[in-house]
Amino acid sequence: MRGGLLQESLASGRMMAATLSCGVSLLRGWLPSVRNVRHGSKAVTRHRKPMHFLKQKLMAVTEYIPPKPVIPDRCLKPLPKRNQEESGLVRILKREVDMMFQNNKMIAVFQNNSSSSEDLLLIKYRLQKHDITVKFFPNQVMRSFLSTSKYINMLPLFVGHNVLLVSREPKTKEMLKVVKNTPQISLLGACIEDTILSHKGVHDYSRLPSVAVIQGQVVGGLTQMTSQTRDLIRHNPLYLSMLLKRYVDQPNNGKEGTEGAEEIEKKQTEPS
Amino acid sequence: MAMSKGSLALKTVKKIVVAFCPFESNAKASREFLALVGSEKTRMTNLNCEVTVNIKHDKSEPVIDVTFVDGEKLLMNGTNLTSKEMLSAFISRCTVKESQMMEGTKK
Repeated sequence: MRGGLLQESLASGRMMAATLSCGVSLLRGWLPSVRNVRHGSKAVTRHRKPMHFLKQKLMAVTEYIPPKPVIPDRCLKPLPKRNQEESGLVRILKREVDMMFQNNKMIAVFQNNSSSSEDLLLIKYRLQKHDITVKFFPNQVMRSFLSTSKYINMLPLFVGHNVLLVSREPKTKEMLKVVKNTPQISLLGACIEDTILSHKGVHDYSRLPSVAVIQGQVVGGLTQMTSQTRDLIRHNPLYLSMLLKRYVDQPNNGKEGTEGAEEIEKKQTEPS
Repeated sequence: MAMSKGSLALKTVKKIVVAFCPFESNAKASREFLALVGSEKTRMTNLNCEVTVNIKHDKSEPVIDVTFVDGEKLLMNGTNLTSKEMLSAFISRCTVKESQMMEGTKK
Protein backbone atom coordinates (compact mmCIF):
# COMPACT_ATOMS: atom_id res chain seq x y z
CA MET A 1 0.00 0.00 0.00
CA ARG A 2 2.68 2.37 1.10
CA GLY A 3 4.82 1.39 -1.88
CA GLY A 4 1.88 1.90 -4.16
CA LEU A 5 1.14 5.26 -2.64
CA LEU A 6 4.78 6.19 -2.87
CA GLN A 7 4.83 5.13 -6.53
CA GLU A 8 1.76 7.18 -7.22
CA SER A 9 3.17 10.15 -5.42
CA LEU A 10 6.42 9.68 -7.31
CA ALA A 11 4.60 9.49 -10.64
CA SER A 12 2.53 12.56 -9.86
CA GLY A 13 5.61 14.28 -8.61
CA ARG A 14 7.44 13.46 -11.83
CA MET A 15 4.61 14.82 -13.89
CA MET A 16 4.55 17.95 -11.83
CA ALA A 17 8.26 18.31 -12.20
CA ALA A 18 8.00 17.84 -15.92
CA THR A 19 5.36 20.50 -16.30
CA LEU A 20 6.25 23.08 -13.63
CA SER A 21 9.57 24.79 -13.24
CA CYS A 22 12.46 23.15 -11.38
CA GLY A 23 12.29 25.65 -8.57
CA VAL A 24 8.90 24.43 -7.50
CA SER A 25 10.03 20.78 -7.44
CA LEU A 26 13.04 21.69 -5.33
CA LEU A 27 10.80 23.51 -2.88
CA ARG A 28 8.77 20.35 -2.49
CA GLY A 29 11.88 18.53 -1.48
CA TRP A 30 12.55 16.51 -4.58
CA LEU A 31 16.15 15.63 -5.30
CA PRO A 32 17.50 16.75 -8.67
CA SER A 33 17.97 13.11 -9.68
CA VAL A 34 14.21 12.61 -9.60
CA ARG A 35 13.65 15.53 -11.92
CA ASN A 36 12.34 14.42 -15.25
CA VAL A 37 14.59 16.29 -17.65
CA ARG A 38 13.98 14.07 -20.70
CA HIS A 39 10.55 15.48 -21.39
CA GLY A 40 11.48 19.03 -20.49
CA SER A 41 10.86 21.24 -23.49
CA LYS A 42 12.89 24.37 -24.14
CA ALA A 43 11.70 27.74 -22.92
CA VAL A 44 12.75 29.63 -26.04
CA THR A 45 11.28 28.11 -29.22
CA ARG A 46 11.10 29.23 -32.79
CA HIS A 47 7.32 28.80 -32.94
CA ARG A 48 4.84 30.36 -30.56
CA LYS A 49 4.89 28.08 -27.56
CA PRO A 50 1.33 27.28 -26.42
CA MET A 51 0.60 28.63 -22.99
CA HIS A 52 0.19 26.16 -20.19
CA PHE A 53 -3.44 25.67 -19.38
CA LEU A 54 -3.05 27.03 -15.89
CA LYS A 55 -1.28 30.07 -17.22
CA GLN A 56 -4.06 30.52 -19.77
CA LYS A 57 -6.63 30.43 -17.01
CA LEU A 58 -4.68 32.94 -14.97
CA MET A 59 -4.34 35.31 -17.88
CA ALA A 60 -8.05 35.06 -18.65
CA VAL A 61 -9.02 35.74 -15.07
CA THR A 62 -6.64 38.65 -14.62
CA GLU A 63 -7.49 40.38 -17.91
CA TYR A 64 -7.82 44.17 -17.70
CA ILE A 65 -11.42 45.41 -17.90
CA PRO A 66 -11.39 49.17 -18.44
CA PRO A 67 -13.95 51.16 -16.44
CA LYS A 68 -16.97 52.16 -18.53
CA PRO A 69 -17.83 55.87 -18.51
CA VAL A 70 -21.18 56.88 -17.06
CA ILE A 71 -22.34 58.37 -20.39
CA PRO A 72 -21.23 56.25 -23.36
CA ASP A 73 -18.95 57.98 -25.88
CA ARG A 74 -21.51 57.66 -28.65
CA CYS A 75 -23.93 59.96 -26.85
CA LEU A 76 -21.45 62.79 -26.36
CA LYS A 77 -20.22 65.23 -28.95
CA PRO A 78 -16.71 64.34 -30.14
CA LEU A 79 -13.88 66.55 -28.92
CA PRO A 80 -12.62 69.02 -31.53
CA LYS A 81 -9.59 67.57 -33.29
CA ARG A 82 -6.47 69.68 -33.16
CA ASN A 83 -5.33 70.80 -36.60
CA GLN A 84 -2.19 68.88 -37.31
CA GLU A 85 0.42 70.58 -39.43
CA GLU A 86 0.61 69.26 -42.97
CA SER A 87 3.45 66.90 -43.61
CA GLY A 88 6.00 67.59 -46.34
CA LEU A 89 4.59 64.94 -48.62
CA VAL A 90 1.13 66.50 -48.45
CA ARG A 91 2.60 69.88 -49.37
CA ILE A 92 4.48 68.43 -52.35
CA LEU A 93 1.37 66.64 -53.55
CA LYS A 94 -0.67 69.82 -53.19
CA ARG A 95 1.82 71.66 -55.35
CA GLU A 96 1.58 68.89 -57.92
CA VAL A 97 -2.20 69.15 -57.93
CA ASP A 98 -1.94 72.92 -58.39
CA MET A 99 0.40 72.47 -61.36
CA MET A 100 -1.91 69.85 -62.79
CA PHE A 101 -4.89 72.21 -62.67
CA GLN A 102 -2.87 75.01 -64.26
CA ASN A 103 -1.33 73.00 -67.10
CA ASN A 104 -4.22 70.81 -68.12
CA LYS A 105 -7.40 71.99 -69.70
CA MET A 106 -9.29 68.79 -69.01
CA ILE A 107 -9.43 67.02 -65.66
CA ALA A 108 -11.97 64.22 -65.46
CA VAL A 109 -12.85 62.40 -62.24
CA PHE A 110 -13.80 58.73 -62.41
CA GLN A 111 -14.76 56.25 -59.75
CA ASN A 112 -12.90 52.96 -60.05
CA ASN A 113 -14.62 49.89 -58.69
CA SER A 114 -11.54 47.92 -57.66
CA SER A 115 -10.16 47.45 -61.14
CA SER A 116 -7.20 45.14 -61.36
CA SER A 117 -3.74 46.32 -62.35
CA GLU A 118 -4.04 44.66 -65.78
CA ASP A 119 -7.20 46.58 -66.58
CA LEU A 120 -5.58 49.81 -65.44
CA LEU A 121 -2.55 49.10 -67.60
CA LEU A 122 -4.77 48.53 -70.62
CA ILE A 123 -6.68 51.73 -70.01
CA LYS A 124 -3.45 53.67 -69.49
CA TYR A 125 -2.04 52.33 -72.73
CA ARG A 126 -5.14 53.18 -74.73
CA LEU A 127 -5.28 56.69 -73.31
CA GLN A 128 -1.57 57.34 -73.86
CA LYS A 129 -2.21 57.32 -77.58
CA HIS A 130 -4.37 60.44 -77.15
CA ASP A 131 -1.98 62.12 -74.68
CA ILE A 132 -4.29 61.53 -71.73
CA THR A 133 -2.55 60.64 -68.47
CA VAL A 134 -3.94 58.73 -65.52
CA LYS A 135 -3.28 60.22 -62.08
CA PHE A 136 -3.99 59.16 -58.52
CA PHE A 137 -4.00 61.48 -55.55
CA PRO A 138 -5.03 60.81 -51.95
CA ASN A 139 -8.46 62.20 -51.13
CA GLN A 140 -7.14 64.13 -48.15
CA VAL A 141 -4.74 66.10 -50.33
CA MET A 142 -7.36 66.78 -53.00
CA ARG A 143 -9.95 67.92 -50.49
CA SER A 144 -7.60 70.27 -48.67
CA PHE A 145 -6.48 71.76 -52.00
CA LEU A 146 -9.98 72.15 -53.44
CA SER A 147 -11.42 73.74 -50.31
CA THR A 148 -9.04 76.68 -50.76
CA SER A 149 -9.21 76.97 -54.55
CA LYS A 150 -11.92 78.14 -56.94
CA TYR A 151 -12.90 74.54 -57.74
CA ILE A 152 -14.59 74.10 -54.39
CA ASN A 153 -17.71 72.68 -56.02
CA MET A 154 -15.80 69.57 -57.01
CA LEU A 155 -15.34 68.65 -53.34
CA PRO A 156 -18.20 66.13 -53.07
CA LEU A 157 -16.75 64.12 -55.96
CA PHE A 158 -13.66 63.10 -54.01
CA VAL A 159 -15.09 60.39 -51.76
CA GLY A 160 -13.88 56.82 -52.01
CA HIS A 161 -11.69 55.38 -54.76
CA ASN A 162 -11.09 57.86 -57.57
CA VAL A 163 -9.02 58.07 -60.72
CA LEU A 164 -8.15 61.30 -62.48
CA LEU A 165 -7.72 61.46 -66.24
CA VAL A 166 -5.97 64.63 -67.28
CA SER A 167 -4.92 66.00 -70.63
CA ARG A 168 -3.66 69.31 -71.98
CA GLU A 169 -6.25 69.45 -74.73
CA PRO A 170 -9.89 68.63 -74.02
CA LYS A 171 -10.21 65.35 -75.89
CA THR A 172 -13.51 64.18 -74.55
CA LYS A 173 -14.61 62.08 -77.53
CA GLU A 174 -11.56 59.82 -77.47
CA MET A 175 -11.66 59.53 -73.70
CA LEU A 176 -15.31 58.55 -73.68
CA LYS A 177 -14.73 55.98 -76.41
CA VAL A 178 -11.99 54.28 -74.42
CA VAL A 179 -13.88 54.39 -71.16
CA LYS A 180 -17.18 53.25 -72.65
CA ASN A 181 -16.18 49.62 -72.78
CA THR A 182 -14.60 49.43 -69.33
CA PRO A 183 -17.17 48.76 -66.61
CA GLN A 184 -14.65 49.23 -63.87
CA ILE A 185 -14.44 53.00 -64.07
CA SER A 186 -17.41 55.35 -64.34
CA LEU A 187 -17.39 59.08 -65.05
CA LEU A 188 -18.49 61.29 -62.18
CA GLY A 189 -17.65 64.77 -63.41
CA ALA A 190 -14.99 66.88 -65.07
CA CYS A 191 -13.40 70.30 -65.07
CA ILE A 192 -12.90 71.32 -68.70
CA GLU A 193 -11.39 74.76 -69.40
CA ASP A 194 -12.19 76.00 -65.89
CA THR A 195 -15.81 74.88 -66.14
CA ILE A 196 -17.13 72.15 -63.87
CA LEU A 197 -19.26 69.76 -65.88
CA SER A 198 -21.41 66.83 -64.87
CA HIS A 199 -21.63 63.44 -66.58
CA LYS A 200 -24.22 64.72 -69.04
CA GLY A 201 -22.27 67.93 -69.55
CA VAL A 202 -19.20 65.99 -70.64
CA HIS A 203 -21.24 63.99 -73.14
CA ASP A 204 -22.78 67.17 -74.57
CA TYR A 205 -19.33 68.76 -74.75
CA SER A 206 -18.01 65.83 -76.72
CA ARG A 207 -20.80 66.26 -79.26
CA LEU A 208 -19.93 69.93 -79.88
CA PRO A 209 -18.35 70.67 -83.26
CA SER A 210 -14.98 72.38 -83.52
CA VAL A 211 -14.45 76.10 -82.73
CA ALA A 212 -14.09 77.12 -86.41
CA VAL A 213 -17.41 75.54 -87.32
CA ILE A 214 -19.16 77.25 -84.42
CA GLN A 215 -17.65 80.62 -85.35
CA GLY A 216 -18.86 80.18 -88.90
CA GLN A 217 -22.35 79.36 -87.64
CA VAL A 218 -22.47 82.45 -85.41
CA VAL A 219 -21.30 84.74 -88.21
CA GLY A 220 -23.84 83.18 -90.56
CA GLY A 221 -26.65 83.71 -88.07
CA LEU A 222 -25.77 87.37 -87.52
CA THR A 223 -25.49 88.21 -91.19
CA GLN A 224 -28.70 86.37 -92.00
CA MET A 225 -30.89 89.20 -90.65
CA THR A 226 -29.08 91.91 -92.58
CA SER A 227 -29.14 89.88 -95.80
CA GLN A 228 -32.89 89.34 -95.41
CA THR A 229 -33.58 93.08 -95.06
CA ARG A 230 -31.33 93.79 -98.02
CA ASP A 231 -33.30 91.32 -100.13
CA LEU A 232 -36.64 92.82 -99.10
CA ILE A 233 -35.55 96.35 -99.97
CA ARG A 234 -34.18 95.38 -103.34
CA HIS A 235 -37.08 93.13 -104.24
CA ASN A 236 -39.47 95.78 -105.68
CA PRO A 237 -37.12 97.77 -107.93
CA LEU A 238 -35.59 94.54 -109.20
CA TYR A 239 -38.98 93.17 -110.15
CA LEU A 240 -39.91 96.43 -111.85
CA SER A 241 -36.70 96.49 -113.88
CA MET A 242 -37.24 92.86 -114.89
CA LEU A 243 -40.72 93.55 -116.19
CA LEU A 244 -39.60 96.66 -118.11
CA LYS A 245 -36.85 94.68 -119.71
CA ARG A 246 -39.31 92.00 -120.81
CA TYR A 247 -41.54 94.69 -122.23
CA VAL A 248 -38.65 96.19 -124.17
CA ASP A 249 -37.59 92.78 -125.47
CA GLN A 250 -41.05 91.90 -126.78
CA PRO A 251 -41.34 91.91 -130.63
CA ASN A 252 -44.79 93.68 -130.90
CA ASN A 253 -44.44 96.64 -128.61
CA GLY A 254 -47.21 98.83 -130.13
CA LYS A 255 -50.29 96.59 -129.73
CA GLU A 256 -49.56 95.21 -126.38
CA GLY A 257 -48.15 98.46 -125.18
CA THR A 258 -51.27 99.50 -123.23
CA GLU A 259 -51.87 95.96 -121.89
CA GLY A 260 -48.28 95.76 -120.79
CA ALA A 261 -48.60 99.08 -118.98
CA GLU A 262 -51.75 97.88 -117.15
CA GLU A 263 -49.99 94.68 -116.19
CA ILE A 264 -47.08 96.61 -114.80
CA GLU A 265 -49.41 98.90 -112.81
CA LYS A 266 -51.25 95.90 -111.33
CA LYS A 267 -48.04 94.25 -110.33
CA GLN A 268 -46.73 97.44 -108.82
CA THR A 269 -49.78 97.78 -106.59
CA GLU A 270 -49.75 94.12 -105.52
CA PRO A 271 -46.44 93.97 -103.61
CA SER A 272 -47.15 97.30 -101.84
CA MET B 1 -16.50 42.73 -43.15
CA ALA B 2 -13.68 40.81 -44.81
CA MET B 3 -15.51 37.56 -44.20
CA SER B 4 -18.72 38.88 -45.70
CA LYS B 5 -16.84 40.23 -48.72
CA GLY B 6 -15.37 36.81 -49.34
CA SER B 7 -18.73 35.11 -49.08
CA LEU B 8 -20.52 37.75 -51.11
CA ALA B 9 -21.84 35.57 -53.91
CA LEU B 10 -24.02 37.02 -56.64
CA LYS B 11 -25.27 33.66 -57.86
CA THR B 12 -28.89 34.48 -57.17
CA VAL B 13 -28.64 38.01 -58.48
CA LYS B 14 -29.57 38.92 -62.01
CA LYS B 15 -28.93 42.64 -62.14
CA ILE B 16 -27.76 45.45 -59.89
CA VAL B 17 -28.36 49.09 -60.83
CA VAL B 18 -26.76 51.77 -58.66
CA ALA B 19 -28.03 55.26 -59.36
CA PHE B 20 -26.62 58.30 -57.58
CA CYS B 21 -25.73 61.93 -58.04
CA PRO B 22 -21.99 62.41 -57.42
CA PHE B 23 -22.24 66.11 -56.58
CA GLU B 24 -24.55 65.35 -53.63
CA SER B 25 -23.15 64.54 -50.22
CA ASN B 26 -25.62 61.69 -49.62
CA ALA B 27 -24.05 59.52 -52.30
CA LYS B 28 -21.10 58.32 -50.19
CA ALA B 29 -22.74 55.13 -48.92
CA SER B 30 -24.00 54.16 -52.35
CA ARG B 31 -20.54 54.70 -53.83
CA GLU B 32 -18.99 52.48 -51.17
CA PHE B 33 -21.61 49.82 -51.79
CA LEU B 34 -20.88 49.99 -55.50
CA ALA B 35 -17.16 49.63 -54.87
CA LEU B 36 -17.80 46.51 -52.78
CA VAL B 37 -20.26 44.93 -55.18
CA GLY B 38 -18.47 45.88 -58.37
CA SER B 39 -15.08 44.47 -57.38
CA GLU B 40 -13.47 41.80 -59.52
CA LYS B 41 -13.79 39.03 -56.93
CA THR B 42 -17.48 39.61 -56.40
CA ARG B 43 -18.20 39.85 -60.09
CA MET B 44 -16.35 36.61 -60.78
CA THR B 45 -18.81 34.72 -58.61
CA ASN B 46 -21.44 35.26 -61.27
CA LEU B 47 -20.44 36.48 -64.68
CA ASN B 48 -24.05 36.72 -65.83
CA CYS B 49 -24.89 39.32 -63.25
CA GLU B 50 -24.85 42.85 -64.66
CA VAL B 51 -23.66 45.66 -62.44
CA THR B 52 -24.67 48.99 -63.99
CA VAL B 53 -24.01 52.49 -62.77
CA ASN B 54 -26.45 55.29 -63.51
CA ILE B 55 -24.95 58.71 -62.81
CA LYS B 56 -27.48 61.48 -62.53
CA HIS B 57 -27.33 65.21 -61.87
CA ASP B 58 -30.83 66.03 -60.64
CA LYS B 59 -30.32 66.22 -56.83
CA SER B 60 -32.31 63.00 -56.46
CA GLU B 61 -31.71 60.39 -53.76
CA PRO B 62 -29.33 57.56 -54.44
CA VAL B 63 -31.16 54.31 -55.19
CA ILE B 64 -29.85 50.77 -55.44
CA ASP B 65 -32.05 48.39 -57.40
CA VAL B 66 -31.29 44.68 -57.15
CA THR B 67 -33.16 42.17 -59.31
CA PHE B 68 -32.88 38.54 -58.28
CA VAL B 69 -33.07 35.51 -60.54
CA ASP B 70 -36.55 34.57 -59.37
CA GLY B 71 -37.91 38.02 -60.17
CA GLU B 72 -37.85 39.54 -56.69
CA LYS B 73 -36.60 43.10 -56.44
CA LEU B 74 -34.77 44.82 -53.61
CA LEU B 75 -34.88 48.61 -53.63
CA MET B 76 -32.63 50.48 -51.21
CA ASN B 77 -32.69 54.23 -50.71
CA GLY B 78 -29.14 55.14 -49.77
CA THR B 79 -29.73 58.63 -48.36
CA ASN B 80 -29.66 57.72 -44.68
CA LEU B 81 -28.15 54.23 -44.78
CA THR B 82 -24.53 53.26 -44.34
CA SER B 83 -22.83 50.93 -46.77
CA LYS B 84 -22.48 48.28 -44.04
CA GLU B 85 -26.20 48.21 -43.39
CA MET B 86 -26.98 47.99 -47.08
CA LEU B 87 -24.44 45.23 -47.54
CA SER B 88 -25.76 43.21 -44.61
CA ALA B 89 -29.34 43.50 -45.87
CA PHE B 90 -28.23 42.45 -49.33
CA ILE B 91 -26.19 39.49 -48.08
CA SER B 92 -28.99 38.25 -45.86
CA ARG B 93 -31.37 38.25 -48.82
CA CYS B 94 -28.80 36.48 -50.98
CA THR B 95 -28.25 33.72 -48.42
CA VAL B 96 -32.00 33.17 -48.06
CA LYS B 97 -32.35 32.88 -51.82
CA GLU B 98 -29.39 30.53 -52.07
CA SER B 99 -30.79 28.23 -49.41
CA GLN B 100 -34.11 28.24 -51.24
CA MET B 101 -32.33 27.38 -54.47
CA MET B 102 -30.40 24.56 -52.80
CA GLU B 103 -33.61 23.10 -51.41
CA GLY B 104 -35.20 23.36 -54.82
CA THR B 105 -32.33 21.56 -56.56
CA LYS B 106 -32.24 18.83 -53.90
CA LYS B 107 -35.90 18.09 -54.40
